[in-house]
Amino acid sequence: MEEMLQGVRFFEFLTEEEREEFAEASEPVSFGDGENIIEEGAEQGSLFVLISGAVEVRKGLPGGRSRLLAEIDASRGRTVVGERGLLGESGASATVTAVGEVEAIRIPRETFRRMVREGRPAAFKLSYRIARTLARRLARLDEEVVEAIRELENKGETDMEAFRDRLITDWSV
Amino acid sequence: MREMPDLKDVPIFKQLDEDERAEVEELAEPRSFEAGQRILEEGAPEGWLYLLTSGTVEVYKKVLPGRRQRLATLEAPTVIGEMGLLTEPRATASVEAMTRVEAHGLGRDLLLEMLDADSPAACKLVYEIGRTLAERVAATNETVAEVISRLENTDARESEEVDVFRDRLVQDWSF
Repeated sequence: MEEMLQGVRFFEFLTEEEREEFAEASEPVSFGDGENIIEEGAEQGSLFVLISGAVEVRKGLPGGRSRLLAEIDASRGRTVVGERGLLGESGASATVTAVGEVEAIRIPRETFRRMVREGRPAAFKLSYRIARTLARRLARLDEEVVEAIRELENKGETDMEAFRDRLITDWSV
Repeated sequence: MREMPDLKDVPIFKQLDEDERAEVEELAEPRSFEAGQRILEEGAPEGWLYLLTSGTVEVYKKVLPGRRQRLATLEAPTVIGEMGLLTEPRATASVEAMTRVEAHGLGRDLLLEMLDADSPAACKLVYEIGRTLAERVAATNETVAEVISRLENTDARESEEVDVFRDRLVQDWSF
């Protein structure tokens, strides 16, 4: 399992021993085409490391519509979804659905919280990483919004579609 | 010298045991600000994390030239400067003391060094900061969804619609 976490950018800053701790705390899971890995509004759960396959991230909009936020293909590099759930209390903000077969490993929130209670450095290092990811998204969004407001004020040409696309980049489910 | 207000009242210290709190207290510099004084200046270097133990502050941002938008009123116990710790050390908003404010200042560089050295005290502080950020991101995600929904419902080329859209964005966005 430890080798599954190798090469995942999110876990790169951990020592081999620390990755091993997470590997022990995690479990392999697989999803069939169309199956939800994370469901919008559901209680915060786990972090998933996507090992193979592709997923779609969608957010429900008022009026019963939904918008595609991202398509993530694990074959182009192992990546994580649901990292906010390890730290946050509110429910998931979007739905992550398997497109075809998906292999992943799951780090359950309860296991992570137990590692925090035990004062394990690995858990705090991962928290630091998640906090930085979240802070960067907040900072970048603030900049985007300020810029859009200024452009709108100046009645310049504002490409609203491009603005919308920038808002949904790097969504933290 | 006056007794420093207690750090354990600041929520992000929840995870720290007594020794770790003492360690941070040792490294922190006591700071106090008079009503009206700037604590952070938008655009200026943000080299400190301030743990506010008493007083009230207001957060402002220059969203449009010549206008400053009030973003929040914060009361101690709370933390300011946490975004600078985790992103670029440049304040994205100004923070002004509304009353006399007592705080502990922690140097950004020192904290980053402690984090690099896996200091449990620093790690636990950042864990609590991360928890508040996770909630902020959750709220921001909902605002973004609303903005997108509005964008898709309005014809953004109509200049009147653009004004309404802009004003709501200024109001609703929590920065």
